[in-house]
This record gives sequence, structure tokens and C-alpha cells, in this order.
Amino acid sequence: MTRAEAVALALSLLADEDIVVAADGAISREAYRALDRPRTFYMLGSMGQVASIALGLAMTRPERVIGLDGDGNLLMGFGGLAMVGGIKPANLYHLVLDNGCYATTGGQPALSQKVDLASAAVGSGYAWGRRCFSGDDARDAMESWLAAKGPALLDLEVTGEDPEPAPRVPMTPEEMATRTRAALASA
Amino acid sequence: MSASHRLDALLEAGVEFVAGVPCSYLKKFFAGCADLPPSAFLPAVREDHAVAACAGAWLGGRRTVVAMQNSGLGYCLEVLTSLHLMYRVPLPMIVSDRGAPADYEEHRILGQRTRQLLDLFGIPWREARPGQHEAEARWLVEASERGRTVAVLLVGKEADE
Repeated sequence: MTRAEAVALALSLLADEDIVVAADGAISREAYRALDRPRTFYMLGSMGQVASIALGLAMTRPERVIGLDGDGNLLMGFGGLAMVGGIKPANLYHLVLDNGCYATTGGQPALSQKVDLASAAVGSGYAWGRRCFSGDDARDAMESWLAAKGPALLDLEVTGEDPEPAPRVPMTPEEMATRTRAALASA
Repeated sequence: MSASHRLDALLEAGVEFVAGVPCSYLKKFFAGCADLPPSAFLPAVREDHAVAACAGAWLGGRRTVVAMQNSGLGYCLEVLTSLHLMYRVPLPMIVSDRGAPADYEEHRILGQRTRQLLDLFGIPWREARPGQHEAEARWLVEASERGRTVAVLLVGKEADE
């Protein structure tokens, strides 16, 4: 299963009211292409901050908050795992699209190939953490993840690149932030 | 009333979410934070994570403030520039301005350039004055209501009112 397919599958399993924080780079672009929704916040920079932004949302909102993260991205902001694990927001769901490399910058290998991110999450205090190695099992794994008590992290292995790279999100950063905040305020 | 007049003033001005990393020059401020409801205070592990969490809380509808030592500003630059400034996500900042001549040497190089650093990135700042914490809190919150990222610099322990 490619990263784009996994992003689309995850979005298809979410409820309308769920809030999404999509990691900078390909993950945001693929999330936009698969299903644009005002309750998805698209990151453009700030690599490593998916868990921290999601935590700020999860502490202040009653809905589920879904972080769509990358493996290199998570490693850059590893302290975010400790904050989520320490605060333990039951409504935070963290999905790592794990391709074992820095795909956006040319596929350089990442240390995620040697670091067990699900165990790190549980060791940090997440209520649930699993690794899924096969695309065939991805749907079952995601359903278990979303049914688990949060905070929950699913480390999902993905392979290959989509033949059609997703284009950049055609909104200004200010429009993206204002739109997400307004969608939450109107609820 | 909390242990910190400055925190009380920020709450009075409308702040609803605080994140930060302690400094020995911010003891009263963080003592006050410890008594906030769990959903209103995030003891962050590093300053970049604190400011990113404030962005999340702002998206969630809260007025936020971050508190840190100036040594944490370096960690924050990527997030301040590619999140707060670029998306126009406001952020009031309380920053202890370490690095005075009598301060420890590890604070000096950054401390002597903290104001230049904020100027360089177009982040307005003002130095805290004795007894002015209420006016400073209103200034921070009013600027953030206009989408700005702004800082109050606390020079010396006595500014931790």
C-alpha cells in the first residue's frame, strides 16, 4: 500500500466531526487530494510538530484529533511523543505513514527502520500502540486503532510512491488556518 | 489569584491556554500555571513543541500564551516562521531575557542578541516594567487578536511578578 492510498483509506474511515492535522510535505498534499475538509489542517513546514499541534487541539476540543504523521517527521519531533504520552488525551489518534525514508527529499534512509515507533509511543504513555507491516492488514489495523482508547499510535508501513504526485494545496496558509478555526468555532 | 500576578493579568485579559518550558526567572509564573485546569496548561518538553501546541489550541478556539527562556527561541524559529508568522496564527510570548553581564556565561551570546533576533523576524517586543504586568498582558492579547506574534521580555527575576 502506498502512502497516498493509506492516507485516503484513513480519511475514509473518519467521522465528519473528526479533526485532522496533516504533516507537511506529501502527506498534506495527498490528504487534500483524497478528501478536502475544513476540519483538516494542512501543515506546510514545521516538520516534527504534528503531535504537538494535535495535542494543542486535543486538549481544547472534545472531538477526536487525528495526526497524520511521517516516520522521519515523528523522529524529528520525538519529544512530542512524550508530551502526548504524559498528558494522555483520550481523543488523540496518531497515524504514522512509515516508509522508512525521507521520500520528499529523495528517499534517503531514516532511522525509523531501526526504531520501534509503536513501542516508543507505549513507553511514553500512549494507551495503545501497534505496528502494521502489510497493506493487506491496513484496514483492519486502522479500525482497531480508531476503536482503541486514546492516545493511540498506529505505525503503518507503506511502500513506493504514487505514480501521480499530489499537487500543492491551492490555498494560502492564512486561508487554511482561518478555515479550520472557523469550522471548529461553528460547531 | 494564582502565585503570579502576570499570569492572573493574562487570564483576566482573556488567555485560556498556556504552554511553556520553565526558567528560574519564571518561577512564580510557572507556579501559577501548575494550578490551572489540566486542559489549560501544557508543560512542554521543548520550546518549539510549546509554540506548536499553542497553534493547535488557537485552531481549537483558545487564546494562548507561551512562556520560555530566551535560549528556547532558537528552537522555535522554524515553527514561528513556518507556522505562526506564515499562517498568521497569533502567539503572545513571555520570554525571560537572560544574558545580562552578571548572568551565567551560557546565556550571554544569545542573550545579547535576543532583541535583534526578534527584530530580524518582525516580532514586536517590549521590555516588562515594574508593576506594568496588567498593561503588558492587555498589549499581548490585543496584538494577538490582530493576528500578531509578539513578546514581552522579562529582564531579571524581579520582572517575574
